[in-house]
Amino acid sequence: MSPQIKKSPEVHPVIVIGSGASGGMAAWNLTRQGVDVVMLDAGDRFDRAEFWTHVTPWEARERRARGERPPRFFLDVEEQPYETPPERPFELTRVWGVGGKTNVWGRVSLRYAQLDFKSADRDGWEIPWPISYDDIAPYYDRVEELIGVCGGDDDSDSLPGSRFLQPPPAPRCGERLLARAAESLGMPVVAGRRANMTRPTRGFPPCHYCGKCGDGCDSASFFNSADHLIPFALETGRLELRTNAVAARILTDDRGLASGVQYFDRHSGEEHVVHGRTVVVGASCVDSTRLLLNSRSDRHPGGLGNGSDVIGRYLCEQIRFHVRGWLPQLYGTPTRNDRGIGGAHIYMPRFNHRDPHRRDYLRGFGMQFWYTGCNPDGAATGSHTIPGFGASLKREIKRRHPAWFEVHPYGEVLPYAHNRITVDESKTDRYGVPLARIDYRIGENERKMAEHMADSAEELVKAAGGELVDYRRGELAAAGSAIHEHGTCRMGDDPKRSALDAFNRMHEVKNVRVVDGSAFATASEKNPTLTILALSWRATDHLVEELRRGDA
Amino acid sequence: MSRVPFRRRDVIRTLWMSGAAAAARPAWSDALSALAHEHARQPAPPPAADWTPSVLDAHQNETVIALTEAIIPETDTPGARAALVNRFVDQVLAEADSRERDEFLRGLKGLDERCRERAGAPFASCTAAQQTAALADISAEGPGSPADRDRAEFFQAVKAMTIAGYYSSEIGLRQELGDDGTLAFAEFPGCEHPEHGAPPKKPTT
Repeated sequence: MSPQIKKSPEVHPVIVIGSGASGGMAAWNLTRQGVDVVMLDAGDRFDRAEFWTHVTPWEARERRARGERPPRFFLDVEEQPYETPPERPFELTRVWGVGGKTNVWGRVSLRYAQLDFKSADRDGWEIPWPISYDDIAPYYDRVEELIGVCGGDDDSDSLPGSRFLQPPPAPRCGERLLARAAESLGMPVVAGRRANMTRPTRGFPPCHYCGKCGDGCDSASFFNSADHLIPFALETGRLELRTNAVAARILTDDRGLASGVQYFDRHSGEEHVVHGRTVVVGASCVDSTRLLLNSRSDRHPGGLGNGSDVIGRYLCEQIRFHVRGWLPQLYGTPTRNDRGIGGAHIYMPRFNHRDPHRRDYLRGFGMQFWYTGCNPDGAATGSHTIPGFGASLKREIKRRHPAWFEVHPYGEVLPYAHNRITVDESKTDRYGVPLARIDYRIGENERKMAEHMADSAEELVKAAGGELVDYRRGELAAAGSAIHEHGTCRMGDDPKRSALDAFNRMHEVKNVRVVDGSAFATASEKNPTLTILALSWRATDHLVEELRRGDA
Repeated sequence: MSRVPFRRRDVIRTLWMSGAAAAARPAWSDALSALAHEHARQPAPPPAADWTPSVLDAHQNETVIALTEAIIPETDTPGARAALVNRFVDQVLAEADSRERDEFLRGLKGLDERCRERAGAPFASCTAAQQTAALADISAEGPGSPADRDRAEFFQAVKAMTIAGYYSSEIGLRQELGDDGTLAFAEFPGCEHPEHGAPPKKPTT
């Protein structure tokens, strides 16, 4: 035997933290261009064969009674707590595991328009994005071609870019009625745009319309990082995936540049360090922010790359509420199979920037319509509000079952410096790492917008002849429940007011890129994942160029 | 993520209009209904021959069978009894807060007491007409004494649980509502009704 040679610790070209939309895209794009990547994910792999995609409610009961359980996607707050002020709760949803939240995401895939990228230039609220629609449009094209997004040929100034969309599924009866009512009010309705493949894509079978996307797709027919990005990256032989690796801090050298990542084994708690020349952060908005704020050093006393004190600030989610009821025009129609693509087949893009809809507040809102139609898991949600009991109740439940509708307006929340994620040195997790504390509240602009959202939703329901159930004007869904956190490590041209440059690279730490929702300068009213994928692709193309030039 | 399951804490009372406070809701009854609703998508006991309740005693179980059947009875399709909704209710109670469970069991007892007073027999032993009268009595909405409100809350809770359990059973979903259960389509048909705004069908060639 040859004498054992003591190796110096390996220094990886790139460390990617997180394997969801942003991290998965980064790893896929880097490895296919010849860059070696080591990826850390805080959880395990999910086994698609164990998803309960096609389990009926009554089968689920029997299986549970036998002690079986579906995969547990969502992180238990007991395992990883976070803090909020008691009077301002924030509902944070996290998935630890390969693919992250994309395993069970809502799949709504809406391009940000120039309207969105230029909102701050127009109204002067906080900083503008450092990029415009034209900068990202080619990446939207590539992402849509890669992942398979269905939608209509119905572009507008608030929702552009339908060129690469696959055919959308037909609307359900209630959706057609809502769309018709909306049109009569000058509110636009388009085909929903969603990352469900309606045509075979890259060897994956198309959606079979079972409607159970929320339980995870057993045929991988909607885009998720675990099936559509990570395996392709692994195939290159250039990706090393470390699971159950809970990233805690980015380590820096004496020049203040990132030199590696400290992480803990999720189960054993054992501490590890992985060394790298570049770090790409995609742990999702709140956890990436926590990681950066916990990465303090003499060179970075306020957290990594946070000389500007913007990291952690400007947290913006979205305001939402739910409007539900029945459309009497559908009473007594036969029960239909409305499963479809697991979510609304229509979408109402923003219209409040047009006459006669303008009002005195900034930014805009759109509307979604999920659960409209026959509920495939039971009676229509509001059935318990139908008066009476006995045969007449049973008859009425059946009569109204096909008539159920839901309207879900989503509105943009402005970035405010006081809406802030901090870390609390006195409260730590099981690995001794300070917890995130989220302090978030909406302001006057959001209250005005919510009034307009309520007026619009009420007008829409009235025009459709709908009967409302359990609707209380003014009641907003829980803060955080849109699961669209943005803004706490934002991009911008001005290093004093932003943490990242136009390519998601830290102004103050040139070998760190942050590619998840925290990089957004504004939230918009739209679902962010498509834009996260496009930004991460663009940021890592830029990184590859740097590596080729030898700058990184 | 937009396909959000019914969540008990989905709604926060963040009001933008002063004084527009949401109507006070009976907390325990809502909590049980919400748990039942979650449950309808998820757990409950198997239809085993040797099933025994984990919360309800034999008499309470008989009462729940009679009560749920009176709410969703057998018509041209089977009712709550055949769909074993009592087992569903027992399971929901087993997972509920002890306070919610106690409120429910108190409501069950109150129903029996009222039936004994008015009809001389506990609910499960009453005639169908007496049961109907008892339910009409406790389900009456509107202003009343605190005891009336307690009874109405109990009725709402058991009704919501019955609906959640019955319509998520094979009998309720397939036989009664007529869901075809198909989980795979080559193309999703969607609405094809011109009266709802569907484009006219292309003539087949």
